[in-house]
This record gives sequence, C-alpha cells and structure tokens, in this order.
Amino acid sequence: MANIVLDKLVKRFGKQVAVNELSLEIKDREFVAILGPSGCGKTTTMNMISGLLKPDAGTVRFDGSVMNNIPPGKRGVGFMFQNYAVFTYLSVYDNIAFGLRIRKMETEQIDKEVQEVARLLQIRHLLSMPASNLSINDMQKVALARSMVVKPQIFLLDEPLSNLDAALRNVMRAELKKIQQELGQTTVYVTHDQVEAMSLADRIAVMNFAVLQQYDAPHNIYNRPKNLFVANFIGSPTINFFEGRYRGGEFNLKDFSAGKMSVSKENKKQVDDSIRGEDIVLGIRPEHLKVGSSRDGVSGLKAKIVSVEPLGSKTIVYMHPDGNPSAILKSSMDSDFKPKIGEMTSLIINEKNLYLFDKKSADLVMRFGS
Amino acid sequence: MEQKLYVKVLKFFLIVFVTMLFFFPIYWIFSMAFKPFPEWTAAGGKIYWFPNNPTFNNFRAIFSRKLEMSPIAGTAIRPILNSLTVSIIGTAIAMVVGIFAAYGISRYKAGGNLPFMLLQLRMFPPIAIIIPIMIMWAFLRMIDTWYGLAIIYGVVTLPFSVWLMKTFFDDIPKELDEAAIVDGCSNIGAFFKVVMPLAKGGIASSALFVFILNWSDFLIALILTDRRWTTIPVHISKLQSAMVGALYGPKAALGMIAAVPPIVFGILIQKYLVRGFTFGAIKK
Repeated sequence: MANIVLDKLVKRFGKQVAVNELSLEIKDREFVAILGPSGCGKTTTMNMISGLLKPDAGTVRFDGSVMNNIPPGKRGVGFMFQNYAVFTYLSVYDNIAFGLRIRKMETEQIDKEVQEVARLLQIRHLLSMPASNLSINDMQKVALARSMVVKPQIFLLDEPLSNLDAALRNVMRAELKKIQQELGQTTVYVTHDQVEAMSLADRIAVMNFAVLQQYDAPHNIYNRPKNLFVANFIGSPTINFFEGRYRGGEFNLKDFSAGKMSVSKENKKQVDDSIRGEDIVLGIRPEHLKVGSSRDGVSGLKAKIVSVEPLGSKTIVYMHPDGNPSAILKSSMDSDFKPKIGEMTSLIINEKNLYLFDKKSADLVMRFGS
Repeated sequence: MEQKLYVKVLKFFLIVFVTMLFFFPIYWIFSMAFKPFPEWTAAGGKIYWFPNNPTFNNFRAIFSRKLEMSPIAGTAIRPILNSLTVSIIGTAIAMVVGIFAAYGISRYKAGGNLPFMLLQLRMFPPIAIIIPIMIMWAFLRMIDTWYGLAIIYGVVTLPFSVWLMKTFFDDIPKELDEAAIVDGCSNIGAFFKVVMPLAKGGIASSALFVFILNWSDFLIALILTDRRWTTIPVHISKLQSAMVGALYGPKAALGMIAAVPPIVFGILIQKYLVRGFTFGAIKK
C-alpha cells in the first residue's frame, strides 16, 4: 500500500511560517492524527500531503517516491473536507461517481463501485436524491463515500466530525475506525479534538506554532508528554502545574505557604542526575491529585476549595493553592465526594504520578514512577 | 412589534405614491406610443392621459418603408439591429474577460491592486474620458464601426462584470474546487466542472445586467458613431421634423421597444442583483 514520509517540510504564507521543518513518518496502514490548536499548521500539513499546497522546502514522499511535483489527482489520495465540499448541484449518485468519471471508468463499473460504497455506508436510499437536500449528517456520509470510492491508498480527513452533533460524532467515530480497519488505507486525520485523536489514532502528532511537538502513541502522549505544551494540551480537565525550585532533594513550590516537598530516597538520585536547572515545573494530572486527609502520600500542601463540578461519573474540585489565590488547581474525585466550598484541605500527591519539567526549556526531564 | 393601523395606512400610501412616481414615465411612453398624431402633439393645449383612438401609426412611421414621403420611414430597423449587435458583442467581451478575471481574483488573489483599479474606472464620469477615446478611435479608424463601439462597451462594463462575479465566486467554498482537484481534475477542469455550474445563475444575471448597461448607453454611442452604427438611444434623439419639431409619437414607439428588454431582464435578475450589489458585504 503506501507509507508517507515528510522530510523537513516548510510552508510560509508571506512572512508567517505556517509549518516549520516538519518531519513525520507514517507507516503503511497506520492511522495518524495531527492534533493541535487552531492555526498550528495542521491543515497546511494536510494540504501539502494532498498536493493542494506546494511546500517551500522539504519533500513529501509516498512509498519512497517524491511527490512534490505530482498533482493532487495523481497522488492516489482521498480527501474529506471539514465542510464536506459536497457538490450541491449534483445528485448523491453523481457526487459519488464524480471522481470515477474523471478517471474515465466504464459506466457499469462506476455503477458497481458506487453501489458498493453506498452499501458500506448505508446511504443507498439516498442515491437518487439531490445533494442539496441532504441533512448535515448524510452530507458527511456522502463526502466520505466520495473520497472512499476512488479506493485511495491514502486517506486524508480534515476535521471530518467537527460539524456533527455530539451524539452522532461518537457514532461516526466508531464507524470511521471500523472502515479504516476494514479497508486498511494509510490514514491521516486532522483534528483539534483530543478525544478523537486519542480514540482513533495509532499515533498522534501534536503540533503547535508550526512545529511538531511530539509524535507518539496516544498512551505515551498522555503519560510521557514531551514538554509543557503537550502535557497541558492533552487531558481534560487540564494538568496542574506547580512552579518552583529544586535543591538538595527538596522541591520548593511558589504557590504554597508550606511549600516544601521532599523527594523520596529511591528517586532522589534519578532527579539529581536528570535535572538541568534549578527552576522546575511539576505537573500532576487532576485524576492523580486527591483531596482530603489520607495518610499515604500527604504532601503537606494545602489548598482552598472554590468550586465543585459534579459530572455524574466523577466530581471535579477547583481549588486555590494557599499561597496564591489567583492560581487554580483541579482535582478529579469520585462522585460520592462531597466537599465544602471555602474549606481548607490537604492535597494528596503520590510521588509516582509526578512529571518533572525543566522551566527554561519546557521539556520533560523525568517522569516519576517509571 | 405590532404596528399601529395609521402607520400601516400611511406606509401603504407612501409606497403607492412613490411607485406611481417611478412608473409614470414608463406609462407615459407606453401610452404615447399608441396615440395618434393629434393626441401626442397635444394641439390646443389639451393633454390626453389615455390614447383615445389607439393606433399603430407611430410604429408604422418608423418601420414601414412604404411611406416614401416621410424622411423617417423605415429608419428604426437598422438602429435596433445595431443596438443588438454592439450590446451583445460588448457583453460577450465583458463576460469572457470578466469571468476569468473574477475567478483569478477570487481564488488566487491575482492582480494585486488591479481589482480596485478596475473599480476606479467607474469613479470618474465617462464624459471625462470619452473625448480622448474619440480621438484615439479616430486615429484607429474605429469611429462608426461595430467593433469600435463593442470594444469600448466591453471595457466600460468590465468593472461591473468582474466585481459582480467575484462576489458569486467568493460565495462558492474553495474546498469544492479542491475536492475536484484531489479527484483528478485540473485547475481549469475544476473551474468548468464545479464552479461554473454553481455560479451559472450569477453569471447569467451578470450578463443580463451588463447587457442592460450597454443597451441603454447614450453618451458613448452618440460620440463614437455618426451614421451607419447609431444605436436606438442615439436614433431616438434624431427623430425630429422641420414641421412639428420633436416627433414624440415615433420617439415613444421606439423608446417602448428599447425599454422592453431592460424591464424584462431587470425583473428576471432582481434577486441576484440585490445580492451582488452588496459586493460581499454579507458573510455567511
């Protein structure tokens, strides 16, 4: 089939650098999500893979052959756009057959292929309808059918689910995953939704400010974020950060009055070895930051509860650390936890759940407990 | 908010009044065209609001070649054909150039400041440029020729065709062209297969609008033609006689014929024009 190699891709729009020296290798049959906030360069990257944009520097290779000068139509890619780009002046059938007709396929063959794809996506009953009458959900399926029918080696999806309502988004997410596994094309999926990226992708490329931040399996992106940006971008509610200094086996944290946290003996050597500067940022995910007075892992840090969000399956507790009332901490507790607002509480932190970042470079220097 | 009754009544009469004000000249042309000589000369100071003895004599006077005594007999046929020829060719020039220019501007931001310079063409009065153009045309021997007039019509209406169609192309999402390109179309193929079918309503209405502009031009035709290629508006101005002065009856007859296409086309394209004239002010 097809693997994709992006080698030091650069794209500028005027003075603005949209993608900067991006290198990415996507294996055959792999499902890769490009994840990042708006304007991070993810759609530009996608357009360079499809050929709609030409890179200013660097190469795009499919299966080893350079694609930079091959027009989009000859690259064997299927592209699904965020706004679906369904041709509203044609019927559903003609929409799906569009690409096949351009490829000058025989009429009977076209009919076979269209019927086949329509069956797979369960839109056979829509085939004779004008595409302008479709609901947004059906339009999404027609767009998918149109890009699938040409049997692309590479499937490019640009935020395909972001226009759908929440319920259908979950259904289509499962559907997409199933189709990709059945057909086995190499798939690149652009999204700003971390849940989509985490649940669908084999690997995730996290981008910010035109630069690739981390490229790894979802599990590693979550558990071993490479820097502060990735740690902060992935996870909901977002990770808690404590700024401070490290000296002689002790963290001195700015936001807390009793701001000392000592490192256990078994980890001290590792911290001493890997630390680069005194200024550090400690990270802990809300599900690992507990509130109350349990004996193990009491950190000696205190915070004031300011608001509570019961979500049903869990309860999110928002707190101000006692030394800095403008900072916010988040803790994800069991749903039967009933805190009092305004109450001062202890934070329970298990050392093995901590991430240690270097403040200056923003890079992860160490993950405790691994 | 529910309006008070007297406000509604007032509005109604205001609308009726304004409508009548605008429609009266049209009514006057149509009724005049069918009035016999004594009625349109208004001899004796009497005004005839309706044609009391409707007749086709005014039409006969300008179309029939049999009335050999009359200096205007049969003279209207040629100007009508002239008007059709130069308006259609002028429109074709403005549209062909305009479609491609508008697409380039809309999709590829082609031309830098050119689109605005085009718009500036409309900003100074035609009378300011028509004399130099007449001199140029005289040197090029294009005075009183169909191509001389058609070319200048195409140029003068180009800003309208470009800017109207640019708004229509802007309304078509770029992803539609891109989808076609990924499916294997060339850029120009995507334009003809996807963009043109979607913009055809807008293109047709732009063409009709440009046609109306060309059709109703007086100034340019007056200066750039003199005998063979005079158009309807110029010919109307020439309908005079030594005996009775302006020949209002035949003028109205020819004027009525000249007014029909703009009225019909105007109604046809009204919907698109309102949209196009906002020049992209409304974004979805």
